[in-house]
Amino acid sequence: MDLGLLGQYLLNGLMLGMIYAMVAVGFTLFFGVLDVIKFSHGDVLMVGTFAGLATYLGLESVGIDSPWLQLLLVVLVSVSAMAVLGALIAKFLILPLKDAPPLNTLLATLMLGSVLRESVRLFYPNGSNPKPFPRLLPTDEWSLGTLTLRVDNLILLAAGVAAIVGVHLLITRTKLGLAIRAVAQDGETARIMGINFEWIVLLTFGLGSGLAALAGVMNGLYYNETNFGIGLLLGVIGFSAAILGGLGNVYGAILGGFIFAGLQTLGSVALPAVLPSVPSAYKDVFAFTAVIVIMAWKPTGLIAEKSSERV
Amino acid sequence: MSMQNSNSSAAPSWPLLTGVSVVGVYAHFLLHAESQIAVLGLAVGAILLLIAFSRFGWTARVATSAATYPKLLGAGAVAAVVLVAAVSYEMHFALLMLTTVLLYSTVCLGLNIQFGYSGVVNFAGAAFFGIGSYTAAVLASHSPLPHLLIVALAGLVAALLGSLLILPVLRTRGHYAALITIAFGILFKTFLEVNDALGGPQGLKIPGMEILGWKFNDNIAIGDHELSFYLNYLVLSLALCAVTFVLVRRLERSWMGLSMDVVRLDETAAATFGVDIARWKITAFTLGNGLAGMAGAIYGMMTGFVAPNNFTFGDSLILVSIVILGGIGNPWGILPAAAIVLILPEKLQFIQEYRFLLYALLVILILLFRPDGLLPRKIRNYFPGDAGR
Amino acid sequence: MSTILLEARGLTMRFGGVTALDALNLAVHKDEVLGLIGPNGSGKTTFFNVVTGLYAASAGSVDFEGREITRRAAQEIYRAGITRTFQRSRLCLPLTVFDNIAIGNYQHLQHGLLFNLFRRQALKRQYQENLEEACRLLATFNDKLVDRLFDPVSALTMIDRRRVEICRALISRPRLLLLDEPSAGMTHDETHELMSDILQVRQRLREAGNSVTIVIIEHEMNVIDRVTDRCVVLNYGEKIAEGTYAQIAADAEVQRAYLGSD
Repeated sequence: MDLGLLGQYLLNGLMLGMIYAMVAVGFTLFFGVLDVIKFSHGDVLMVGTFAGLATYLGLESVGIDSPWLQLLLVVLVSVSAMAVLGALIAKFLILPLKDAPPLNTLLATLMLGSVLRESVRLFYPNGSNPKPFPRLLPTDEWSLGTLTLRVDNLILLAAGVAAIVGVHLLITRTKLGLAIRAVAQDGETARIMGINFEWIVLLTFGLGSGLAALAGVMNGLYYNETNFGIGLLLGVIGFSAAILGGLGNVYGAILGGFIFAGLQTLGSVALPAVLPSVPSAYKDVFAFTAVIVIMAWKPTGLIAEKSSERV
Repeated sequence: MSMQNSNSSAAPSWPLLTGVSVVGVYAHFLLHAESQIAVLGLAVGAILLLIAFSRFGWTARVATSAATYPKLLGAGAVAAVVLVAAVSYEMHFALLMLTTVLLYSTVCLGLNIQFGYSGVVNFAGAAFFGIGSYTAAVLASHSPLPHLLIVALAGLVAALLGSLLILPVLRTRGHYAALITIAFGILFKTFLEVNDALGGPQGLKIPGMEILGWKFNDNIAIGDHELSFYLNYLVLSLALCAVTFVLVRRLERSWMGLSMDVVRLDETAAATFGVDIARWKITAFTLGNGLAGMAGAIYGMMTGFVAPNNFTFGDSLILVSIVILGGIGNPWGILPAAAIVLILPEKLQFIQEYRFLLYALLVILILLFRPDGLLPRKIRNYFPGDAGR
Repeated sequence: MSTILLEARGLTMRFGGVTALDALNLAVHKDEVLGLIGPNGSGKTTFFNVVTGLYAASAGSVDFEGREITRRAAQEIYRAGITRTFQRSRLCLPLTVFDNIAIGNYQHLQHGLLFNLFRRQALKRQYQENLEEACRLLATFNDKLVDRLFDPVSALTMIDRRRVEICRALISRPRLLLLDEPSAGMTHDETHELMSDILQVRQRLREAGNSVTIVIIEHEMNVIDRVTDRCVVLNYGEKIAEGTYAQIAADAEVQRAYLGSD
């Protein structure tokens, strides 16, 4: 295999890993503050992508056609709308079920995912078909030998790194981050220390959902296409990545995202190479088999979960 | 509520019989309703009637009576299904609906063992149902095996494929196990779509059932009358559903049910008192998947056709919705819930397209405001009718 | 010297960097009531969790009736004859009082699929036996509780829940009962009442030829004084004193540990 192709796979893997990591960080943040898994997270990402797409179409129709301005507004609208949506979900669905059996939260958020998915399919104009996502980034190419680098991909990678570093700094360096970490450590104590528990939970859900929206827009820009079903897949993969890294651990989630992308890329490259009879259409089968095998192998993740159950 | 003072041991049986009759007659009209207005009227009427009934304490009366005569309730329910079917003897569509409700109820009884009793979540119910259909398709087309044996084998294959998930499901809890079954469900569907040997996205044809020369897919001629061939499948499905129901009931009212409940509610306490957690989870998971497989095989033979698109994640969620809506852990809740979830969208064409959305919303509302479902599970009574003293 | 029922040697439990039990040597004598005391975080509950198999000991060993039970599964330890209660009650709240007690007898319940589904008459006999046994145990505590046999536990008061928990731990006739702070969350009077109950049940069991040895974790010193034959004091996972209540109450090191004057 030539170096250029290898480079392409590497870049593609990095891009996937970045998106997975951004989804996984959300899962891990939610689990940190409330010990719940929000199964609708992937679908929030999908709604975020569609919110971005709708913003773009709206801007086009009123005649704003500077790509940079469009991009800025698409990201802004998508991220802030999903942050609000995430907080609303926490406020009206997850917090009310805080004392119910965990199964109920699980079911409720799964069903919410279904509601979001179906709503887009039914109510977004022609929502059941894949939608082209606009190219808002410059598509100039640089050639390095056989390897071709595209500017838009590099920008997306840089944006992903910036977003993750930003979240990291927010959590480790700011007062808000300190409060989030305090609530994650021990909600009761944090409350006694005068931290507004509910407010922090809502902010955390807003933060995670905004990050997912950004990942959704990046996903759209990268593939130039989106559809109502991407959320389910990205949600399952993001959750697996979060578990792989140990739920509640932000670094673990990022690591998990990249490991998962690595596995998937390896699967789609190596599988047809090793077994020529197996078409690359099996790459999703491979990815989900990997999810199941990983769960059987390390059920609490590569980096241990924050604490064992108290007896 | 006001009827609580009536002595349960002296409760009469007529409220129960009346209740069963009313439900039967209602089901009949619903299945036969032609216009959208009529169906809508029936749906609204049911809600009003239910409100009125509980207002006058009649539902409590029926419940007391039903608890006093459990065998009569079972016999009454079977009789009601048979009567409704007999009246509709030449209506293909009504019988297809009724049979579908019975088969889905069987699957949900299995799901009920899984997450109602032992707390093992399974979001791949539709996948196990599909495994049953595909097994039936392959075996009935390519082997001379008797068809009833194929139904049993379909259950076995579903249980065996499910056992691939047992290790990860046992090593994990709650959310993690949910993820595994979701991944399995998606994997199953994706695999079928890309696998040409099993027909790819187009799926496979399934021969109709035949037992001892009796062809299930031929209409039954009696004199001048021609009975719908669906009656064959209805009788078989009713038998499967009724036997499953009785066994699930017995399971709940035994040490098995107790052990599964404790495993679900508190694994630490369960382990401290010697309860073999893995054993009960495996038992529940295997039984549930086996039931789904058997029901899937019969369903596939009835419709003559199986394709990956019938077994999406959304369909698995519909199965879960039935269990939640009926009242998690209560087998009696499943039948009416399955009827509502399956028949309404078929009858009310305008909700057909929106059914995934509507049921997802409904389940969220139920979880928020009435987590025990329409017919909440009752306290365990090991030997009803003569217990207590 | 009486016979030793349970013996821990060099028992150590580490959680990451924290050592909750530090080479603990501890013997429980047959038929005694042993009090296990010490400040919060001194390793008392950890000791119970290690003995009952919920935690796997990092080092050391535990022998019960001369057989080693270290790092066995919780289920095996139950079958060996050790049961317990929990500091924060761990009953199954939606289940009935009877269900909660019956599960305590798990090793004597038949679990076969065929037995449970098809031999309903045999199941019924076994059910009746367990029903009677549960009634007998409950009656030792409080006759009124017998009437509530088919109420969900969630409808009971705190003290009644404790009683149900103790019945659950006793119905399998264990040789060793571990009580983890039974007075937690109860008023002074309730505690007094519960302790009388426990002593009474123990007396009756002994008369019936089923004597049970008890280890009790308690913070209320008057409870310890009243019910225990002997006490062991833990601090930072180590045993710092051992003897009758009077002896340990006078021990200088124990006072230091409790008052923290160092």
